[in-house]
Amino acid sequence: MFSKRKILGRSAAWRIAVWPTVALAVGIAMTLAIMYFLIARDIRARSDAWLSGEAETLADVSANTPRDNLYGRLVEEVAELAAREVSDASLSGQQQNSVFFLQTQPNEDPIWVGPVPKQRFIEAIQSAQLAPGTPGNVYVDGWKLPFRVVYHARNTAGGIYLGFADFSGAKMLDRLTDRCLLVWGTTVVLGFLITWVAAHRTLSRVERISDTVSRIGSDDLSSRLPEGPYPDEISRLSKTFNKMLDRIQSSVHQLRVLTDSVAHDLKSPVTSIRGTLEVALAETDRAQLHDRVAEAIEGLDRLSEMLNTTLDLAEADAGALQLRKESIELAELIQALVDLYQPAMAERGHRVTTQLQPILVDVDLSLMNRMIANLLDNEVAHLPPRCDVNILLQARGREAEIIIKDNGPGFPSELRSHALDRFVKGEHSSGHGLGLAFVQAVATAHGGNVLLSNQPGGGAVISVSMPMVEVPSERVSH
Amino acid sequence: MRLLVVEDDSAILDFLKRGLTESGYQVETARDGKSAQALAADDVYDGFIIDLGLPDMDGLDLIARFRAQGHTAPVLILSARRSVDERVRGLEQGGDDYLTKPFALAELEARLRNLLRRGATPQQEAVRLHVADLELDLVRREARRGSQLLQLTPQEFSLLEYLVRNAGRVVTRTMILDQVWHMRIDPATNVVDVQIYRLRKKVDEEGQHPLIHTIRGMGYVLKA
Repeated sequence: MFSKRKILGRSAAWRIAVWPTVALAVGIAMTLAIMYFLIARDIRARSDAWLSGEAETLADVSANTPRDNLYGRLVEEVAELAAREVSDASLSGQQQNSVFFLQTQPNEDPIWVGPVPKQRFIEAIQSAQLAPGTPGNVYVDGWKLPFRVVYHARNTAGGIYLGFADFSGAKMLDRLTDRCLLVWGTTVVLGFLITWVAAHRTLSRVERISDTVSRIGSDDLSSRLPEGPYPDEISRLSKTFNKMLDRIQSSVHQLRVLTDSVAHDLKSPVTSIRGTLEVALAETDRAQLHDRVAEAIEGLDRLSEMLNTTLDLAEADAGALQLRKESIELAELIQALVDLYQPAMAERGHRVTTQLQPILVDVDLSLMNRMIANLLDNEVAHLPPRCDVNILLQARGREAEIIIKDNGPGFPSELRSHALDRFVKGEHSSGHGLGLAFVQAVATAHGGNVLLSNQPGGGAVISVSMPMVEVPSERVSH
Repeated sequence: MRLLVVEDDSAILDFLKRGLTESGYQVETARDGKSAQALAADDVYDGFIIDLGLPDMDGLDLIARFRAQGHTAPVLILSARRSVDERVRGLEQGGDDYLTKPFALAELEARLRNLLRRGATPQQEAVRLHVADLELDLVRREARRGSQLLQLTPQEFSLLEYLVRNAGRVVTRTMILDQVWHMRIDPATNVVDVQIYRLRKKVDEEGQHPLIHTIRGMGYVLKA
């Protein structure tokens, strides 16, 4: 439970949910504000229209009524009628819609119909400086709402003022405000929750990936992530992870095979060298002792040769083979090595023939020497006695092709597909299985490649291609 | 001949000191670059043997400092890496040499001799070489055993010449490949042995006193 809370607290869902929520809050607030503004304007327009109409009626009455004793009464009557017209049963007391009527006339007391005391109203009206015909706001002390007041100038001096405090409208707007706030709040909270839940659900898939990946140690690389039903980013992430895990698992597997093979290949010679030296220790005959020590040194030489090649291969795998390229006449280089190997081949009864076309290649001399030596070692070591070996060097397109054919038994079918892998060797091979892997590594480092095949009539074909510098056409012609 | 050997591995340092002293060199040793510089500042050496991976500095940097301080003696670099750094290979052009571990003491001494000879005044180049009744004519590239002309291929002659020039000293297979075939390779098969075997059949015929000897675990030696 604690860990769950910790996960919730640290979830990015919060951050993801905040911004959409802010956007939602702002957007809805703006929409509601516009709506509020429009409704408020409408309400005011309605009350202004009423006010203007009433004011006109009153102005008519005032203008057309004879100025007698009843004049004041009549006007008051009309004004009170108007006030009653707007009275709202749902309101009470101070909040009741209020109407006032004021008629000013020179040299006479103004006629006042409306809340008392009238003095505050008259002062407020006078200070408001209203334009005739246009309703304006008049703020009266003690009243929560401003009065909308319309002023009609009379043809004689003075005028009539009709004021209206629209508490109904104000109450409606208040209710509207409350509802807007409620709607806004609910939407924002709901929006935040929905976004958060959605983000959290999505992120929990990421969390599962993270859990699974953290569970994958070097001991167990077999776990895989669920890829999910939708081909979305997270599924792709899972797929990518799974592919990476596949690669890591296969590398680790290869590494284990490699380590096992190295360990195995090291253990046997170390054991035999140790044994030889132990025997030497007990040897009393000087000549015998000498022989044993020499034997041990020979064993060490073989061991260090294997170590060297293993390290070379490791270096090649890490892309760390440093090439010191120079232009080399490949035919001469191959011929020199064939000359070196020829007696060893002849001793086993092999007949070596060469067809070498002069080709310039841009290669690392030392690596190239070792590569060709490995190819020839491979022939010497693996062919049964009395075979024919044909070494061919030819230009093929932009590449120099070294082809070594023999009429031996060829690559065993189960071996051919991975004979270039390290430590892969034939059943009866006495080598350490690194030779062709090294050939492959050198060829690859030079931008070339190695192909292994069997001839239809039996015998192996190893073909190594290397990019060449140029085709010396005049030298090719015989 | 005074040598300064700079190597941090004490096992290697010990066997180098013992081997080289037995061969008649005066050997001073240092385990790091700093003490090597201190030793070199106090004394003059005819040659340096320097390990590439010193605890306190890169072997090449140490050489650069020696050179900057005016030491001109040749340097033999020891490198643990088989695929040697381009900078190390560059040493060959600079008159110095390198050797990758593991190496045979015989090869180290041979390379050291070559290096030290470079500094000396060149001797009159011989046109004929003799060992017992074996005679090599370097101009006509002919070899005779007693009165009999040996039928040697150019390759075999070069190999014999190398053995004769190093008569009495053990040469390893690696040295033969390097000096006769000019290749730094490490064959997995017995190519060099077969070459020697063929040469021996021609040089040491039945009933003659054998000149070419196999030293097991080391290599070959030509001696009377």
